[in-house]
Amino acid sequence: MRESFRRLLAEKCAETDIRRVMASPGGHDADLWQAMANLGIVSLLVPEEFDGIGAGAVEMEEIMEEAGAALLAGPLLPSAFIAASLVSLSDDADAKARLLPAIASGQTIATVAFTGDTGTWSLTDISVTARPQGNVWVLEGEASFLLSANLADVLLVFARTPDGVGCFEVDPSKVQISPLVSWDPSLRMSKIALSETQAVRIAGVDSITFEQLIEIAVVALAGEQAGACRRIFDITVEYLKTRVQFGRPIGGFQAIKHMAADLLIEVESATSAARSAALALATDAPDKDVLISLAAFACADAFSQVAAASIQMHGGIAFTWEHPAHLYLRRARADAQLFGQSDAYRERFVAAMEKAA
Amino acid sequence: MMNDAKTLGDEVRVWLAEHWDAESRRAKSGGSLAEWMDQVVAAGWAVPSWPAEWWGRGLDKKSVSLIVNEFRKVGAPGAGQDRTNITANSVMQFGNDALKQKIIPEFLTGRASQCLLYSEPGAGSDLAAVRTRADLQGDHYLVTGQKVWTSGAQNADYGLLIARTDWDVPKHEGLSFFIIEMRQPGIEVRPINQITGDSHFNEVFLDGAVVPVENRVGDEGQGWKVMQTALAVERLVMGDGAGERRQGSSKNNVVSLIDIARETGKINDPVARQEIAQAMAYRKLNALNMLRAKQEMAQGSASPIMSLGKLAMSRILHEDARIMTKLMGAASMLDGPEHSLAADVNYRTANAYMTSIGGGTDQIQRNIIGERVLGLPRETEADRNVPFRESRAVTG
Repeated sequence: MRESFRRLLAEKCAETDIRRVMASPGGHDADLWQAMANLGIVSLLVPEEFDGIGAGAVEMEEIMEEAGAALLAGPLLPSAFIAASLVSLSDDADAKARLLPAIASGQTIATVAFTGDTGTWSLTDISVTARPQGNVWVLEGEASFLLSANLADVLLVFARTPDGVGCFEVDPSKVQISPLVSWDPSLRMSKIALSETQAVRIAGVDSITFEQLIEIAVVALAGEQAGACRRIFDITVEYLKTRVQFGRPIGGFQAIKHMAADLLIEVESATSAARSAALALATDAPDKDVLISLAAFACADAFSQVAAASIQMHGGIAFTWEHPAHLYLRRARADAQLFGQSDAYRERFVAAMEKAA
Repeated sequence: MMNDAKTLGDEVRVWLAEHWDAESRRAKSGGSLAEWMDQVVAAGWAVPSWPAEWWGRGLDKKSVSLIVNEFRKVGAPGAGQDRTNITANSVMQFGNDALKQKIIPEFLTGRASQCLLYSEPGAGSDLAAVRTRADLQGDHYLVTGQKVWTSGAQNADYGLLIARTDWDVPKHEGLSFFIIEMRQPGIEVRPINQITGDSHFNEVFLDGAVVPVENRVGDEGQGWKVMQTALAVERLVMGDGAGERRQGSSKNNVVSLIDIARETGKINDPVARQEIAQAMAYRKLNALNMLRAKQEMAQGSASPIMSLGKLAMSRILHEDARIMTKLMGAASMLDGPEHSLAADVNYRTANAYMTSIGGGTDQIQRNIIGERVLGLPRETEADRNVPFRESRAVTG
């Protein structure tokens, strides 16, 4: 499947496609999405009983490496991986039967609201409140940095309830969705405001589910970062072999060659970190906390560092809008914020190591 | 293929069960380690990828991995030396038959040990600039010159020696590779006092030392190529789990960043915690990289990741020492037995250079990665096409 996905992306998600989709209002390529659904990419994490492939974190991470390399944007991460995982993690048979097959087919796009304005993706950051009113729930408050909410048919909104954190299915048409201008033009982010909004509670989602969902999101994103980081590095190394100055390819100069050697360590480390986190998540390994928090900051930092250095190593050509290097920098800077910053994960990592020591 | 692998696995397990006591980790026949190795060599497990007439079984890489794994499971030594034994591999690949018969069994059974006579005071990073000369006199060469950074020289039976046999061709082309007996009057070994206070390394002075022609490995002028093969084996051995083994280079191997932070009361300092996390992450990432490299190699594909291990480890060791020093604060100025923690941190600070200089400096390592892994253009060398006699290495 990874091979087929790579071929599909090479064909339909080349740089010109990325730029075309980037400039489109929805930031989404419906044809590519349908082709991905046909390949089983969209239904990858959905259990077989709900028309999915029933794969796990390892396969998800592999797919995200490919997606990241191609700078794919759109609902793959928020809908097919994050929202589908959330519904699967719940105890809600109705919600599963209603939502999972629709998400798996790609017909329904869902997205999760799981952070407020501070953008820390932590429980304390949830600023929507929910109160029961007869048979329904009523939601109040705001959430931000939603991915692909502009396309969403379903919003899954985390909120504080009288009995702790819960999650609610919300009809997007009943919510004020404000698009956010993103520095990465391939991403579509939104803020939502809920006021007396009626919603259906998804049973069996609590603060533990929230943390589990963050783990899945982090591992998926780590895969994207590892894949993207490797691709922009490869693009850069190729350029170093062909760009001639002072009568020889610039990759022959130690100032450049040594940068490349150091960056290769970061690229390989990102791949190792993302894959081992995925395996730890899939197998519920005892050192899962260590490996997932490690992947969170190691992959974010590697991608940021490599993307930034790639512009410097290319020189003037990469300072132009037409060159793809800045697209990777934009994605790297966005990815470094999504689901929590590196410093926060470094702290979690050292805390987990401390426990083990 | 599946069946073959299963049969081979069975064969190894049966053989080990017959000959090796996993519980006591000893040969069932008793005897010395060398006597155990005799059995391993005779059975063809020591160098399985070599031909049957040369102690092997003519097997592929995957099969060697399988054999090594079976040996590892029961803690039996000696298998898979076709990947690790520097001398045996160099001699097997380039030596004449007489030398193979004479040298290889001694090394496969661990009866003989070697030291590496490569670097010289004038040939460090630029190893091909060696000026130790080997002059042919009838059926032997007379070797004169100075080698440096030789570990284990006092106890070694043989030295793997690179020396110049032709001064009228460019530097790489005039070298030859020898296996020289270390215990002879023409060789003097003097320990080097290191910045750590240790003396792991030696200078070796050769003054008319004798090496028979049959101990030349490869033809005259082929020395550089032979040494590259030996270095490749050495790097593979070094990169393989370098991380955790090198940690043991500290004098008292009890301290970790977390231990020191606890002891110095900085464990809750958020700035210190960020630095500690990053340093520990470097170590963990390198271990994960090496694990992945091994998995890729076990599947038969060459992994470029292995070559990154040394450079990565150098950053790990220097960063560890830097952060430990910061945690220690003013106490890091102290030393000696009454302040063993400071002494340990100081030792680590100095010893980190062993990895960032030894076996190729970080800078040379970056050249190697850039050129051999990434395929970037080679460094220009002013003396590459000049007869060595006329190069600055000789004329000054």
